[in-house]
Parts: sequence; C-alpha cells; structure tokens
Amino acid sequence: MAFYEENPGQIAEADIVVGIPTANEAGTIAATAARIDKGLSEYFPRMRCAIINCDNHSSDGTREAFFSVPASAHKLYISTESEVGGKGRNIRNLFEKARGLNPKAVVIIEADIKNVSPVWVRNLVTPVLKGAGFVCPLYERHKYETFLSNSIIYPLFRCLYGRRVRQCNTGDYGFSSKMLDLYLNSTHRSELVENSGIDIWMANVALAARQPIVQALMGAPKLHRARGRFADLPDLFAEAVRTIFDLMEVYQDYWLQVKWSKPTALSGTDLQEVETPLPPADVNPERLYEKFIDDFDKYSRLWEHVYGPITARKLQEIRSIGFQHFSFPTQTWMTILFDTAVAYRGMSPSEKKDLVDGLLPLYVGKVLSYVKKTWRMSLQQAEEYIENECMMFEENKPYLIKMWTKEERG
Amino acid sequence: MSKILVVDDEEHIRLLYSEELKEVGYEVITAESGYKLLEKIEEEKPDLVVLDIKMVDYNGLDILQDIRNQFYDLPVILSTAYDTFKEDMKSIAADFYVVKSFDLTELKKKIAMALETRLPD
Repeated sequence: MAFYEENPGQIAEADIVVGIPTANEAGTIAATAARIDKGLSEYFPRMRCAIINCDNHSSDGTREAFFSVPASAHKLYISTESEVGGKGRNIRNLFEKARGLNPKAVVIIEADIKNVSPVWVRNLVTPVLKGAGFVCPLYERHKYETFLSNSIIYPLFRCLYGRRVRQCNTGDYGFSSKMLDLYLNSTHRSELVENSGIDIWMANVALAARQPIVQALMGAPKLHRARGRFADLPDLFAEAVRTIFDLMEVYQDYWLQVKWSKPTALSGTDLQEVETPLPPADVNPERLYEKFIDDFDKYSRLWEHVYGPITARKLQEIRSIGFQHFSFPTQTWMTILFDTAVAYRGMSPSEKKDLVDGLLPLYVGKVLSYVKKTWRMSLQQAEEYIENECMMFEENKPYLIKMWTKEERG
Repeated sequence: MSKILVVDDEEHIRLLYSEELKEVGYEVITAESGYKLLEKIEEEKPDLVVLDIKMVDYNGLDILQDIRNQFYDLPVILSTAYDTFKEDMKSIAADFYVVKSFDLTELKKKIAMALETRLPD
C-alpha cells in the first residue's frame, strides 16, 4: 500500500513505535502526542522512540498540529492518499512503516482521548518488552458504557478463542514485533477491516495467534472527545460483528478445538486509581424499547427464516412482555448469535448485510434486558452477571460446533 | 494423574483438600505459605494450584500475579472465606474462585473444568 511520508529526522530504526491514527483530529492530537512523548521519555529514556501520526489526509491541520508538539521522540507523519479514508487503512500504513523501523514494541493510542496519561504508555509497552505478544488495556468503565463488548464481543471471543480479554475493541493496544509480522502477513482483508473493523480484527488475530496476551490496568476511564456515538451505532455494530463472523471462518480450525477459557496475565497492578469521574451513563431504556418494538415487524420474517419457528416464537413472547417486565433471556440471545454466525457463513455479501442489520434490533433488546437486570447493581455485580452469561456461552459451545460442522457437511 | 498444589496457611484446610482430592484420583502436594512458592512450582510442576487468598504472611492475589507472569497458562483456583476479594481487579487473573466450604463439590467441579480447558498450540 502506498502512503505519503514525512520523516524529518530521517530515522531508520526505533525500539518503540507509537502510532496515533487520525482523521481530522487537529483539536486533540497535540495534547495526545505530548503525553505520549512524556510517557516515552519518563519510562523508556534509553530507548529509541518514534511517534507516528498515521493520518487520513486530514484537511483541518492535523499534520501541522502534530508537528508543532516539542518532543524527545522522533516524529513521523504518514498518510493515505487524498480521498482515501478508513482507520484500518491508517493502521495498515502504520504496520508497514513500523516494520521498516524494526521495533521491539508497537503501541497504538487513539488521538481523540481527552485524558491520556503517560503511564498508559508504560503499561502498554512494558509487557511487550517482557515477552507478551499483545496487550489490551483495561480502562475503568461504567457498567453501561460497553454494551457491544458486554453482549457480543467478550462472550463470543471468550467462548471461541478461549481467552478472557475484557475490553477487546478499545482501539488502543500494544504488540510485539512478531505480532506485527502476523498482522502484515494476514491474508484476511475486507472493507470492514479497512475501516473501524480494524480494532476487533487486531484483537481477533492476536487471540487466534496463540500469542501471550496481557491485560493492562489503566487506572482510569478513557474519556473521548464528545461525539455522536449513538448515531454511529449501526455502522460500528456491523463492522465489529461482521468482522468477528468473517474471522470465524478463517480461524475455524483453531476455535473448533478450544474448550472452556483461560484468564490472561495482568500488568499495571501497581497503579493507583486516578480520581477521574466516570462519564455519565448515556442510556435511555424507553428509547431502547421503542427501537426494539419499532423494528420488530420489519425483521420478524427474516428472523423466522434464519432462526426457525422455536426462536421466532420466543421472540414474539419477548415482544409481548411489555416494557415494565421486559427481559431477553441470555439463552435465547446466545442461540441467536450462534445461529447468526452459522447462517452468515454461506451467504452472499448483501444477504450478510441484511442478516446483521436484522441482528441489531435484537441486540438493542438484549441491551435493554441487561440494563433492566443490572439497574440496581454495582459495577462489580454487573461484571459478575456478565461472567455468568459468558459461562453459559462456553457451556453451550457444543451446540455452535454441532451447527457449524453440520452446515459444513451439508 | 493430575498433580494439584494446595497453598493454604490453615493446616485443617490443607488436610481436608488433600484427602478429598486424593480420594477422587488427584495427586496432591501442599504448601503452607507463599514462601519460595515459585521455586516449588518450578520443581514440582503441578497441573493446577489451589491458592488461599488471605494467608498470614502473604497476599494470595500478589502471589497469583507472580504465578501468572512466570507460568502463564498454569491454572489457578482462588480459595477464599470471603468474596470481597473480587473488588480487587487482580483477581481476574485466576481461572476460577471458590468460597471455602467443607463440601468440596464446587472446588472439584472447578478443578475438573480448569484441567479440561483446551487451547490448541
């Protein structure tokens, strides 16, 4: 892939490379780059460090803002060509540029974080220097902040790949030189992965690569610049879910053999929690209920076709419960996810899109159910609730294997 | 035969676990503290560790981090009298936890699951 490059220091090697993917982030990149540089100089003073802004040809002055930051580390700017967007393309350019620098560790940190701490750099880099293949952060989270992770990514990844990694789609990671090669050599490319599906793709490839994974405690929440996250939901949902389903086919020889799951090692356990207030919970149960009901008739025929009459009947029951006592049983949700994954495999691209579009209202129903069940729970109690759901996924994996291999034989 | 290392500073617990686990076919070795535990693990190569969280001289959660850092995939089951430990994020590095009880049904179930866990090479 061709990319535009500015390397003012003409550096040819670096021990640590930190990539900051951007698309019009002039307002935030300077502060983020400055804190990353502080982390590198404070915790890795004797290492050769490079910060690479991998950009989508921003027109708002992102490049200028990045180069305006005084830094001890070398700064490089790379960009996709004009009119070429997608976070995944930025990251792929980063992979290629980083490979040429022969690093021991590579870190990616998103540009639009308001509260990047220098110690986050330490926590993402150090485990890699000690032998980890992939480091995933563990931010402080509100119980209603990560629905996609809670309801789909964490239970599915855990049950498929056997490793308990709680926040797989944060967008910030650390990884080794070996992992970098695996990313570069991966033959699975898709339009989804060229965009925001890249986050889940990176975690998924690492999980299937059997590299040692470490979760890094970050001691604080990750605060993004305000953006219309709800408006992005259909796209983010489709990119994450479809990438997981696509990779299930790629890695079937691996995950079909996995039984139960294992924890990971942790880093950053010495960290004192920073007193950063968690962002307010942006959840409106009534609105979720309306969305679930509104889309029901639109998709009920598709659901009956894909999930069969028993699940279709169950969904009608769920619909008839009403808002006050609304509940979407985990068993039903798990069966739907497993059946969707199996059905997805044999479909045309347009059918796949329709199938995942039809999963979205069911996901909204599952989110509502989780919100109602955990409304009075502490974060810890809500986490235990999710852990129990994950156990149900693991216990029922033989059903997924049976359906998947039956489909293959048929 | 799978070898299980029971780490607990209470003798009656070590005895109870040893007898019951031997009865269902496991080889059991014990340690009364975290002292030189990593060396013992290196030497004895247990298939699984049952680790008390609150010992007089050692914090089981700190020992858990050391075990996980050195023996990445060695199954560890935390054994505790109280479940308040779950507030500490370090506990997620354990495979499972059980609340101490004279009925070892839950512990045996978790041991079997941990030993059955399979991740391909």
